[in-house]
Amino acid sequence: MDLVRDCLDKQLVDRNGHNMGRVDGVVLQLEKGKQPIVAFVEVGPVCQAERLHRSLGRVAKAISRRVGVAQQDPFRIPWSKLVAAGIEVIADVDAEETPALAWELWLRKKIIGRIPGA
Amino acid sequence: MVKQELHLELLLGKQVFALNGKAIGRIEEVRTELRKGECFVVAFLVGTYAVLERLSSWRLGRAILGLFGSTIKTGYNVQWDKIDFADPERLKLICKVDELLPLELE
Amino acid sequence: MKKIFEIALGIVTSVGGFLEIGSITTAAQAGAGFGYQLLWAILLGGLCVIFLVEQAGRLSAVSGHTIPGAIRERFGLNYFAVLFVVLGLVTLLVLGAEIGGVCIAMELATGIGFQWWALPIAFLIWLIIWKGTFGIIEKGVSFLGLVTLCFVVGAFLFNPPWTNVAAGALPALPAHDKAHYWFVAVSILGASISPYLFFFYSAGAIEDKWDESYIGVNRVIAAGGMSFGTLISVSVLILAAVILLPRGIQVEHYSQLPMLLVPVFGRSGFWLFVASLTIACLGAAMEITLEIAYLTAQGFGWNWSENQRPKEEARFSLVYTIAILVGALIVVTGIDPLQLTILSMVLTAATLPISIVPFLVLMNDKYYVEEHGNGWFSNTVLCLIIAVALLVTLVAIPLQIFGGS
Repeated sequence: MDLVRDCLDKQLVDRNGHNMGRVDGVVLQLEKGKQPIVAFVEVGPVCQAERLHRSLGRVAKAISRRVGVAQQDPFRIPWSKLVAAGIEVIADVDAEETPALAWELWLRKKIIGRIPGA
Repeated sequence: MVKQELHLELLLGKQVFALNGKAIGRIEEVRTELRKGECFVVAFLVGTYAVLERLSSWRLGRAILGLFGSTIKTGYNVQWDKIDFADPERLKLICKVDELLPLELE
Repeated sequence: MKKIFEIALGIVTSVGGFLEIGSITTAAQAGAGFGYQLLWAILLGGLCVIFLVEQAGRLSAVSGHTIPGAIRERFGLNYFAVLFVVLGLVTLLVLGAEIGGVCIAMELATGIGFQWWALPIAFLIWLIIWKGTFGIIEKGVSFLGLVTLCFVVGAFLFNPPWTNVAAGALPALPAHDKAHYWFVAVSILGASISPYLFFFYSAGAIEDKWDESYIGVNRVIAAGGMSFGTLISVSVLILAAVILLPRGIQVEHYSQLPMLLVPVFGRSGFWLFVASLTIACLGAAMEITLEIAYLTAQGFGWNWSENQRPKEEARFSLVYTIAILVGALIVVTGIDPLQLTILSMVLTAATLPISIVPFLVLMNDKYYVEEHGNGWFSNTVLCLIIAVALLVTLVAIPLQIFGGS
């Protein structure tokens, strides 16, 4: 499997087929003398900001700590919970129970869900 | 044992330097294999674009250059144990360039 | 049988959604200023958009990816971020122009100033998107958009000198006002080759669950729909050349535009123009709004679909709500809608390469298009389109300064 082609930036879906963002980061773990492994994938605006520019990453982290709705940003999913499957990467989690959809749920509850017809 | 974490998305596009300090190309891809439920890194694919090196610092640039196949693009398949990641900003080979496998273009 | 029906529907919806404030204004300015001499620009724009729309549809049908999604995956977040910011800002300006177009139609109809209509019209657009489904929006407004065929009828009824019209199909240097001539040419290209058109088409292919079996259908819809739409733009140019040019009327204010239909249809022509402008711009505004939301949601991997309830996709809903509000506020500022339209078309033209260059890679990448990738002909045409787009990028801003109205 090629990580850039088959994993990074791919659509991430949960076990119920719900979109939960894109694979924003892939964390490799290196140990001296051992073959590196893929430990986690990362999802979240902080990870995205870090990719654009290091200083943006710092700003995003600071904002996330202040006003963040997600307890964990970036949110990490262990490799053991993933299946890279063609067009999408499927995670064996329920998206609504993870920080990946924290903003989506907050908006649903506090703003969008309150508008008639939602 | 101390575990070092590396972010793939930050490694992409980084130059790799030979023992003599010359840049041999940029990291384009990380090849892995699945074994016993774990995903092991097998090799780092390093692409070289000669005079169009500047364009290849962007993924779009590398993709466009890749359209022209082997006339422009060459590269190396660098085994996982042949790169020193002590300084992720300056990746160094720990073997000679001659010992590297060539990149197989699709 | 089902496919034939879908083709017919697809062509109708493409026609109905093609004409909007940019194509009306730029074609009218071209006809009023230079007669039939800029016909080639409309035809060139139409040809480019046929190829781009066809390729967008093919990419989505075969790969199951939308264009923003494919761009993010293939070229990474950094390139997508550039596309997102540039395209997002330019598209918001275009949205402002389209909302402005509806407001101008309302001003023509009622005499109440266009700025007053901005928020009510914005609310209407928002409500239709909030409550409607993709099908209702795509088909409903597009069927109504067939009223714009009145321009075609008008042009034929006027029976212009067809040999002169045909001569305009070949590019020629103007006798006067060279900078302005090329400026209008660039704005026509920006009005015709709008990224929102093929991005929206790609999202539609996914919403309508197209697969490989739709490749033929896609080809016919792209060619048929965009050709028909181009015909309407050509008709606007002809009408302007026949009616405005002889009277020395340059298109400098929206109130001059109904003149295009009054000589042919009398008083009804005024109301036909108002209806055409309203429906065309309303449809375009909805498509553009959705496209901004699609671009955001698809690029960042959120839930998105016009067929889902808003609370199932709260972030998607928030993005289109904010987009409509920004578009409306641009109109409320009172900026002249004509100037805003021309500016947004020129900026669209200037930023085309960012949206089009990725096609060169995606349409040749087996990972996405399998064995349905571009042949040598499509690739050659695509390269020519990119060359034209790059040339336009270089000259657009200087022309805006030296040749703009």
